[in-house]
Amino acid sequence: MDDHSIDDVVEAELVPENGGSASVGNPSNQAADASEPICGQTSQLTYEISQRPDFSVLKVDLAQGAKVYAEPSAMVSMSADMHLKAGFRGGVGRSLGRMLGGESLVVNTFTAQAGGGEILFAAGAAGDIAYKRLENSSLYLQRGAYMLNTEGIDLTGKWQGAKGFFSGEGLVLLKASGTGDLFFNSYGAILPIDVTGDFIVDTGYVVAFEDTLQYRVTVLPGLRTAGKVKSFFFGGEGLVCQFSGTGRVWVQTRQVSSFLAFANPYRPTKSN
Amino acid sequence: MQYDLIARPSMTVAKMMLQAGETVTCEVGAMVAMSSGFQVETTSRSKGGAGGFRKGIKRMFSGESYFLNHFTATAPEQMLMVGPSMLGDIMHHSLSGGSLVVQGSSWLASSTGIEIDTTWQGLGKAFFSGESMFWVKCSGTGDLLINSFGAIHEIDVRGEHVVDTGHIVAFEDTLQFDIGKAGSSWIGSFLGGEGLVCKFKGQGKLYVQSHNPPSFGKLLGPKLRPR
Repeated sequence: MDDHSIDDVVEAELVPENGGSASVGNPSNQAADASEPICGQTSQLTYEISQRPDFSVLKVDLAQGAKVYAEPSAMVSMSADMHLKAGFRGGVGRSLGRMLGGESLVVNTFTAQAGGGEILFAAGAAGDIAYKRLENSSLYLQRGAYMLNTEGIDLTGKWQGAKGFFSGEGLVLLKASGTGDLFFNSYGAILPIDVTGDFIVDTGYVVAFEDTLQYRVTVLPGLRTAGKVKSFFFGGEGLVCQFSGTGRVWVQTRQVSSFLAFANPYRPTKSN
Repeated sequence: MQYDLIARPSMTVAKMMLQAGETVTCEVGAMVAMSSGFQVETTSRSKGGAGGFRKGIKRMFSGESYFLNHFTATAPEQMLMVGPSMLGDIMHHSLSGGSLVVQGSSWLASSTGIEIDTTWQGLGKAFFSGESMFWVKCSGTGDLLINSFGAIHEIDVRGEHVVDTGHIVAFEDTLQFDIGKAGSSWIGSFLGGEGLVCKFKGQGKLYVQSHNPPSFGKLLGPKLRPR
């Protein structure tokens, strides 16, 4: 099911002190226009992501016979002649893998009937939708980020070993590979960052990354000055994902967990 | 400080570019992403400033975390991205010798020339509701990044201006203020839902936010399962 387990062997050891290498990447950020619509056309569909980044909506136009597979409840509306079928995709093993990746066991399959049709998709929370075309490549998605894909993409859940275990933020990843179109979503805006060299993202803000990047979960370099673990715990930045290599990382600008932490004290207390 | 505000106004993050040797002090937990050429240091006081432990304790009571994170670039062109936890905007305010009083949870980041102090209790004492009515006083010369819940609206006060206390983000300390009731009678003020207001006088900048976190929390609370 998975042929990439070798280079993903658990690496939970702490990185050495950051020597401030000058070869550090110079990530360019194309998202200064976070509110611009994203649109395009591929052999499988035509898409447009509008109302970014707060209330992003994805419109997909499908030609007759074309299929998309989507997370349940992502559909907002669709043409009447679109055929919708809910079911397990790729057998029980695959489905369990997806569940491990934080996704539902069930995947909805939309097939365009005669004349084609359109579907609107949106996420459960306020936030952004991002797009990635895979060409015989792979992408890792953070738990819950998956939205939909076209034919030709294989989704597998992936046990991250201690990498996932140590990151309290739940770095449980879903791996999408193959050739096709992939859409994913998150709370907050999604900013793509092109990494060359080294780059660090708080684990709670990682939405997706290309598998051309190596990664490991670690503490913020420098917070362990003279072995003072306390500065790590008190530093509050928690665990970070340290990427190296060349590839793209997508980060989200807000976290659901922060919102929950805000709302929690306002819950009523049990009377007994 | 070279910075860029992205995904405004509700999902805003600040992307800062730092040169070697440049330091930015951030609210603990605010870091979203960064280049690897940073030295990160956690202290209980503003860098280079006095105060240490006692100031740290005061900062804890003011709604900010006890510790501050200092990010010092060790290579040229290092990127640091920070963001607040709630939906809302970020704004920049530059200080040159004056002071800005910032609502407890709104301070996000500042450059090294700025001293962060919570000893300022001018407004805190005046409130008895106790809801995040604590304040941080930022003084010195440099840049400040401040976040809000909702959008930020800037008001240039010339004379007098009245603001609901839950909507104050920050104000220049050239402004004098008075806490009072919104209407002509106490009962009327509370029935009208406005409660306490702050009357600012003088000349200076005042920043207000479109939404008020406690109001939102009280709206959500009753709909959630009991703890």
